[in-house]
Amino acid sequence: MILLDIKNMTIELETPEGLIRAVDKVNLTIREGEIRGLVGESGSGKSLIAKAIVGVLNKRWHITADRFSWAGQDLLRLSYEEQRKIIGRDIAMIYQEPSRSMDPTAPILDQLLEAIPDSELESRWWGRPFERRKKAIALLHKVGIRDHQAILNSYPYQLPEGVCQKIMIAMAIAKKPKLLIADEPTTALESTTQAQLFRLLASFNQLKGMSILLISHELETVARNTQTLSVLYCGQLVEAGETAAILKSPFHPYTDALIKSVPEFQPQLASKQPLYALHGSIPTLQHLPIGCRLGPRCPNARKECVKTPVLERLQNHYFSCHFPLQGKKT
Amino acid sequence: MTAPLLEIRQLYKSYQKAQGIFGRKTIQALSDISFSLYPGQTLAIVGETGSGKSTLAKLLVGIETPDSGEILLEGEAVTISDHKKYNHVIRYIFQDPARSLNPHQRVGQMLEDVLRYSTDLNEQQRQQKIHQTLAQLGLMEEHAAYYPHMFSGGQLQRVALARALIMDPKLLILDEALTALDPSLRAQIVNLLLELQKTTGLSYLLITNHLRLVRHISDSMLVLHQGKALDYGPTNHVFAHPQHDYSRKLINSAQS
Ligand SMILES: Nc1ncnc2c1ncn2[C@@H]1O[C@H](COP(=O)(O)OP(=O)(O)O)[C@@H](O)[C@H]1O
Ligand code: SF4
Ligand SMILES: [Mg+2]
Repeated sequence: MILLDIKNMTIELETPEGLIRAVDKVNLTIREGEIRGLVGESGSGKSLIAKAIVGVLNKRWHITADRFSWAGQDLLRLSYEEQRKIIGRDIAMIYQEPSRSMDPTAPILDQLLEAIPDSELESRWWGRPFERRKKAIALLHKVGIRDHQAILNSYPYQLPEGVCQKIMIAMAIAKKPKLLIADEPTTALESTTQAQLFRLLASFNQLKGMSILLISHELETVARNTQTLSVLYCGQLVEAGETAAILKSPFHPYTDALIKSVPEFQPQLASKQPLYALHGSIPTLQHLPIGCRLGPRCPNARKECVKTPVLERLQNHYFSCHFPLQGKKT
Repeated sequence: MTAPLLEIRQLYKSYQKAQGIFGRKTIQALSDISFSLYPGQTLAIVGETGSGKSTLAKLLVGIETPDSGEILLEGEAVTISDHKKYNHVIRYIFQDPARSLNPHQRVGQMLEDVLRYSTDLNEQQRQQKIHQTLAQLGLMEEHAAYYPHMFSGGQLQRVALARALIMDPKLLILDEALTALDPSLRAQIVNLLLELQKTTGLSYLLITNHLRLVRHISDSMLVLHQGKALDYGPTNHVFAHPQHDYSRKLINSAQS
C-alpha cells in the first residue's frame, strides 16, 4: 500500500522581492515497509520537504501540491488541524543534531515518559505511572541501550551524540509511527556509531514494517541503506527509482556526476587520480537559473534546457531531463 | 629513500583532570606514538573523538608540549620556541573555513597580513605572490577585493587553502576539512589537493574520524584508538589486513 503520496509539491518563501521557489514541483511516494533515500547537496530543499510533510514550517512559507495523501486519504480536503492530527499520529521525525532537538533542562526519563502517548497504555489510571516507566525502559532497550539506570537521570548534554540519537529514536518509535523521517540522522556521529544506527533503523523496518525516509547529503550512506531513491538538485527532483537501478545506470547528468564523484563507486579509478567533478557550485535561492536548474553546470546542456524539463517515466524509473543519458533517443 | 619530512618518535602526552574535590586523575591522551611522513605523500590519522587526534594536532602545531618523545621536521627536533620558523613549514586547514576567516577583512588584505607578518617580501613581491596563489587555487585577481561573505562555500574553502598555501608550506594538516563538504564540492577540493601535491610535492596529514576518501587519497594510514596507535602502514595494506579488532570494526563500518 502507498502510505505517502505527494505530487507537485512546491514550497515558496515570502521575501521583500516576492516569492522564491525553494522547492519546485517535487513528487514523493513512500510505500508501507519501504526505506526511501532522499539525497541532495545542502540547500537543495531536503529539510524543507521533510518539514512541510510534518507541518512545522512557519507562515512565511507557502506550500502547495496537486496531491498530498496519506494511506489513501486525501489530506488536502482536511483542515490544517485534522491534517496535523493524522500526521502527528502516524509520522515521527528525527534530526541531525539530537542534543539540540532535545529539551536541555529535562532529564531523559521525563522526556521519554512524555513521548509515550496515552493510547499506548493499558492500565487504569493508578497503574499508569508505573506502566509508563516500564515502557520508557523497554524503549531504551529496544534502541540498544542496556544500561538504562545511568541514562534515565542524565541530561542530554551529559551524553554523547550517538546515545542522544538513539534516545531520539526511542522517543520517535514510542508512538509506533508508520513512517519515520530521519533528516541526516548520522551526520554528527562517528563512523562506527553511524553503522550501529543504520542497523537499528533497518531492524525496526524489518521487525515492525516501519517505513523510513532517509535524508542525507551523502550518496554513499543512502545507497547502502535504502531500496528506493529520490535525488534532488536545487529544489527540483531530478531522478527517482530503485536505488540499485539508479546506481547502475543513472538517467540524469546530476545523478551521474554524484555517483562518479564517490571513489567507492569507481573501483576502476586508481588511487590519487582526479575524481569526476561538475564545475561551478550550487546556486543560491536568489540566483536560481531559469528552466533546468542544473543548466549552467551541466555538461550536456543545450538551448532547450532553459525550459524546465517535465518528469518522465520509464517503468519504475523517473527522471527530468531533456537529454537523459540513456533510455531515450535524442 | 628520501628522508622523512615529519618524523614522530615515541610521543607521550597526559592531562591531569580534576576528579571529585581533591582527587586528580591522569588521562593518557597519547602513548608511544611514532610515525613518519615523506615529502609528496599523504598520511591519514584515523580515530574517533577522544582517540587523541586533537591532542596530536595541538602537539604538531606547538600549542602544547609533549611529556616525552620527539617531533622532527626535516630531521631537526622542533621545540616551541621555533614556532615562527616552523609556521612556514606546517599550515592548517580546519573543518569550517567560514568560521576561521575574519568577516571584516578583504581576502587580499588577509593574505597580505600573513605575508607581512612572516616573510621579508616587499610590497610588490607580496602583491605578486597573492595573485599567483589565488590563480593556483582557481580564484581570480578580483577576488582579493572580496569579503568572506561574498564567496560561496566552495570558494571559501579555496580562500582558506590560499591562506595556508601562500607561505609555501611543505606540510598541510587537514583537520576534518573534507568531512562535511557536499559531494560536488568535495570532489573539486580533492582534485585541487591532488593536483597541488603532484605539482609542488606538498605533503598532507589528513586527520579524520571517517574512512571515506582515506583509501583514495592517502598513501599510508594510522588508526588511533584511546591514545594508542593500532594499525599503521600503507593504506591498501591496512584496509586488506587490519590487525586489531577496532580497526577491523572501523573499516567494516565504512563499507556496510
Ligand atoms: N528560514 C529560512 N529562511 C530563508 N531561507 C531558508 C530558510 N530555511 C531554508 N532556507 C533556504 O531554502 C533552501 C532549502 O533549504 P533546506 O531544505 O534546509 O536544504 P537541505 O536540507 O537540503 O540542506 C536553501 O536555499 C536554504 O538556504
Ligand atoms: S535538462 Fe538539460 S541542463 Fe538539465 S540536466 Fe538535462 S541536459 Fe542538463
Ligand atoms: Mg537539511
